[in-house]
Amino acid sequence: MDGIRVGKRVIGTQSPVTVGWENIPKVEGGPVKQFIFTWFQPTMLFAMIAFWYYAPNSIAKASTAIGVGIGFRVLLLGLEWVNPRYESWRLTWKELVTDLFYVGLGYTLLHIVGHYIGSDAMAKAIQHYFHQDEFKWFTGLPLLVQAFLIAFIFDFGQYWMHRGMHNWYPLWLPHSVHHYITQLNINKGAVGNPVELFLIGLGIGGFFDFVPRAVLISGALGLAVASYQHINVRFNSPRWWRFLFNTTEHHSLHHSQDFESTRSNYSGTFIFIDRMFGTCIDGEAELLGMEGGRRMSIREQMTHPFSEGWKALRERFWPASAGQMKGPAPFP
Amino acid sequence: MTLRLIDWIWHVRGSLALAPGQSSESAFDSLAPLFGQTGTSYERTNDTLTFSKKDPAAQDKMSVFEGGTLRIDSRVAGPVLHYHLTSRTLLFCLLASFLFLGIAQFTAAINKFDKPPPHEEKKHEDIVLNPIDKALGSPEPDNSKKDDDKEDEDEKLSPKAAYVFSGLFAVLYAVGRILESKLVKALFEKNLLKPQ
Repeated sequence: MDGIRVGKRVIGTQSPVTVGWENIPKVEGGPVKQFIFTWFQPTMLFAMIAFWYYAPNSIAKASTAIGVGIGFRVLLLGLEWVNPRYESWRLTWKELVTDLFYVGLGYTLLHIVGHYIGSDAMAKAIQHYFHQDEFKWFTGLPLLVQAFLIAFIFDFGQYWMHRGMHNWYPLWLPHSVHHYITQLNINKGAVGNPVELFLIGLGIGGFFDFVPRAVLISGALGLAVASYQHINVRFNSPRWWRFLFNTTEHHSLHHSQDFESTRSNYSGTFIFIDRMFGTCIDGEAELLGMEGGRRMSIREQMTHPFSEGWKALRERFWPASAGQMKGPAPFP
Repeated sequence: MTLRLIDWIWHVRGSLALAPGQSSESAFDSLAPLFGQTGTSYERTNDTLTFSKKDPAAQDKMSVFEGGTLRIDSRVAGPVLHYHLTSRTLLFCLLASFLFLGIAQFTAAINKFDKPPPHEEKKHEDIVLNPIDKALGSPEPDNSKKDDDKEDEDEKLSPKAAYVFSGLFAVLYAVGRILESKLVKALFEKNLLKPQ
């Protein structure tokens, strides 16, 4: 494959990719369908922001946010059924079971870990150390500015953590499991080795969680933007949306079987962070995964970072004994 | 208790009447595309086909089943295909239900032993709404002390999510056990009836 030159690099030499918005297919179907799948994303984003901005205090609370989050994800699953981006990504019973297992771990075990040693504990410790009144300059900002800053700071941290995962082997090992997914759908963001899911969740956005309403609006930004990273729906996202926000197109390229493409589009919500640091590529891919699209079992997903890490250690420190073993996992 | 009494959890058995006079060879030829998938290996003898799958692709129509045997019985009035398939995914799905039940119990136990620290009087000034938000009509923040007490309540880990997932996996198992059996039967039927 010849590949396509994007800046200094050539992408798509190992697996087909599409580069440039003008080359990405549009929503097919009648005017109603086109209208819905053109305006759905911005409408939901602004509706959610307005909801949390104006909801009475009795409604604007975390339990409502959990309900809204679950309802929205069910709606997105429905959209995947109606208008899939690729038939080859269609959800099956087995994929749903696998995905929900990881979603469940995120809501339960990882939540417990986060509560004691993860992001929740970190944010609380920092907030406890500083007196809240020292942050009056922040809590006095307009709600939307606070919400944006909470989301941006978190995503900025996540960008560098994610980029680090693709550039430093010890961090790549836990993250590599997530790159074995062979299709995208709404729950695929949760699929990965639990060590990686813990690491990627670390962020200092929670440090600024002083005003509950700002936190809820910030959460809505995540829900109504970042959720589309792994969705299997064809949208005609507006130009400004594609410029600011990460989309399933960007993220499918990041998951491509093509090595060079995976080294792009690291942010979770705001793709302009990638634009700032020169790692953004506008495009998409259908063929995803590693090792030619081999689907990894849950058992292997749990053990892979440790077995590959052990192999790498043996190769480094005991090359003679490691000579008979299979080499370590490929490192994008 | 023999394994046979519970192996229906992850074993799917069934049979399908073939067209009168259809030979084993032609029946297996019709089914061959199903076993030509990535990660699938199979062996054929006169009247038996044994297959196994390793890391099947998501869109492999038989990806739920890691192995199985198909046998054509020609001794009765007409030829009949008997199949016996095994699925670790079905077993995993049911076990996941128990796993999340365990996690729920574990979370409840943590809550029992993990006493919250003594309530500290939080001395901070009230959060004041920015004039822009005031002008746009966003509700004033609730600075009453009641919230602090509620915060402590919210900080406790809840086993609710784990119970929900336990139930979800039990339902998913029931759906999968029925649906996947029907789908695989329909798949065999469709391939066997397809003109060569």
